[in-house]
Amino acid sequence: MTELTHGELGGFIADRVEIGVFAVDVEFKVTLWNRFMATHSRHSAADVLGRNLFEVFPELPRSWLERKVRHVQALRNYAFTSWTQRPYLFRFDHNRPITGGVDAMRQNCTFLPVKNEAGEVVQVCVTVQDVTDNAIAHEELAASMAEIEREKAEQRKLIGELAQAQNQLLQSEKLASIGQLAAGVAHEINNPIGFVNSNLGTLASYVDELMVVLDAYTGAHDQIPESLRSAIDAQIKGVDLDYLREDLVNLVTESRDGLDRVKKIVQDLKDFSRMGESEAAWADLHHCLDTTLNVVANEIKYKAEVVKQYGELPEIECVASQLNQVFMNLVVNAAQAIAEQGTITVSTGTEGEQVFVSVRDTGAGIPPEVLKRIFDPFYTTKPVGTGTGLGLSVSYSIIERHGGRIVVNSKLGEGTEFKIWLPLHYPAAKTDDS
Amino acid sequence: MTTALFSEDQRDALQELTNIGMGQAGASVAAVLGEFVQLSVPRILVLKPSLIPPALERIVGPEKVTAVRQGFHGDLRGEAVVVYGVAHCRELADLMGYDEVPDEATEHELLLDVSNVLIGACLGGLAEQISAEMGFSAPSLMATEVEVGSLLDVSRMDSPCALFVEVNFSLEKRSFACHLIMLLPEDQILVLRDAIDRFLASL
Repeated sequence: MTELTHGELGGFIADRVEIGVFAVDVEFKVTLWNRFMATHSRHSAADVLGRNLFEVFPELPRSWLERKVRHVQALRNYAFTSWTQRPYLFRFDHNRPITGGVDAMRQNCTFLPVKNEAGEVVQVCVTVQDVTDNAIAHEELAASMAEIEREKAEQRKLIGELAQAQNQLLQSEKLASIGQLAAGVAHEINNPIGFVNSNLGTLASYVDELMVVLDAYTGAHDQIPESLRSAIDAQIKGVDLDYLREDLVNLVTESRDGLDRVKKIVQDLKDFSRMGESEAAWADLHHCLDTTLNVVANEIKYKAEVVKQYGELPEIECVASQLNQVFMNLVVNAAQAIAEQGTITVSTGTEGEQVFVSVRDTGAGIPPEVLKRIFDPFYTTKPVGTGTGLGLSVSYSIIERHGGRIVVNSKLGEGTEFKIWLPLHYPAAKTDDS
Repeated sequence: MTTALFSEDQRDALQELTNIGMGQAGASVAAVLGEFVQLSVPRILVLKPSLIPPALERIVGPEKVTAVRQGFHGDLRGEAVVVYGVAHCRELADLMGYDEVPDEATEHELLLDVSNVLIGACLGGLAEQISAEMGFSAPSLMATEVEVGSLLDVSRMDSPCALFVEVNFSLEKRSFACHLIMLLPEDQILVLRDAIDRFLASL
C-alpha cells in the first residue's frame, strides 16, 4: 500500500469534499471542477475542463460574475456571495426532492485568489456551499417572527379595545347609578306629593264649601244690626274680601297645576332611568324624546328654543333608557354649541325600514379636524372638568348595539346635525319564535 | 484618550504603516472602481468599549447609517465595520456599474461587495506592511438605516479596551463617502505592537 503524497491528498479532498469547488483562469477557462460540481451540474469534469465557463453555462449572470472575478484578481483578495442576497450562483437541484420548500439549492460562495510564486493572481477558485437547510430554517424563523409580530399587533389592538370597552362600562355604570339615585329620589318625592295632592283636593272642596257658607252670610248682611255691620264692613274692606275670594280659588288651582308638573317631572325621571332595565322592549321614541327634553329643559331653556318636528313613528324594539341617554347627550351638546340664543330642532320620521331621529342646532358648527374625532373615546373640546369625552363615543356604541348608525353633518358658523337611524328590531334580542 | 498601550514611536509607526497600507488600498480600489479615491489620514484611538459608540457618532455625524461588518483572522484577529450614510448607499449601484435601479437584495449585495473590497484592500495593505497573514470571513449586513450610536452593542464586548482605526473614503468626482473602522481587542493590540516592534527593528 503506497502512501498518498501531500498533493495527492489535497487533490483527493478537493475533489470529494461535499462542497462545490471549481477554478477558472483569467480567460474564464475552467481549470478545476470537482465531483460536487459535476454531480449537481450534470456536466462531468471531462466535459467542462478547458472550456469557457460561460460557454458551458450560458445561464450564469455573466457581467456580474466577470466583475466579481476581476475584483478578486485586481485586489488579490477574497470575495463572497450570500444566499440572502443572491440565492444561488448555479441553479442546482436541492437536497429536498421530497420535503421541498425552495425552488433550487441555496448557495454561499467564496471566491479566492490563486496566486503564483510572484504573488500574482493567475486563477480564481470558487467554493459553492449548499446552505439550503439553513436558508429554509432561516426563512421559517422569519415567517414565525412575522406571525408573532402580527399577533402582537392584534393583541395590542384588542387590549386597546378592551380598555375602551371598560371605560364605556364605567361610564354607563356611573350613569346607571345616577339613574338609580334619581329614581330613588323620585320615589321618595312621590309620597309627600301624594298626600299634598290629596290634601289639596280636600282643601279645594273645603274652599268651595266655605264660599257657599260665606255667600249665605253675605246674603244676610243687611239684616245684621247696624252696630255690628260697620265693624264687619271694616273687616271686609281690610282684607279685600272680593279679591281674596277670587284669588283663593286661583291659588288652589295653581298649586294643583304645580303639583301636576312635579308629578310629571318625577314620572319623567323614573321613565328616563327605567331602573334595572337593560333588555330591549317596544317603546315609543316620541315619548322617550319628550321625557328627555323635559329632564334637560332646565339646562337648555335659556339657550335655545326647542322645535319639535315629529313625523309618524312606529314603536321600535330598543333599550329606551340607553336611547334616552343618547338623546340627552345630543340635546345637551346642541345647547352647548349655541353661544347666545338659538334653535334646537328635533325631527323624526321613517326612511324605508328604519326610523330616524335628528337633532339639529344653530350653533357654532364643528371644524373638520375635530369632526373626524368626535366619536373617539376621551376626545373632548370642552374645558377640563366639563366633559368626560365619553358622551359621543358611548352614544356611538349604544346606537351600534341597536344595529343603527349615527352620522354627523356640520357647517362652521351654521350649525350641526346629528342623525340617528334605527331598525325596528333590536338585533341581539331575537325572540324564540324567530 | 488612552494610547498608553503604545509608545510614541510605536504609535507613529502604526500611523505610518496604516497610512502606507491605506495608500496602496486606495490605489487598488481606484483600479476596481475606476475612480480616484481620497483617503483621510487614519485616526487611531485606544478606547474603552463604552466610548466606542460616542466616538463613532462624533466621526460619522448624526445621520442614519447602514453598516457592514467583516471579521478577519490569522496573525491579527478583529472586526472591520464599514459605515455608509443612507444617501450614499444609493450611489453604489451607479458606482459599481449597474445600469438599473437595484432592488433591495441587489443593493445589499452591492454594499457587501464594496465593503469587502474596501476592508480587504485596507487590511490587506496593512497586513502586507507588517508581514502578517490574514484571512477574511464573509461580510454581513449589520444594520440598515439606524442611528450611529445604536450600531455596536459594546455591552457584550469582553475586551477591556479596543484599538479603533478609522479611515474616511471619498471619491473625487462623486459625493460618495464612507467610513471604515477597524477594531482590535486588547490581546490583538499587543500582537500588533510586537509586529510594529519587529518592523521598527528591521529598518
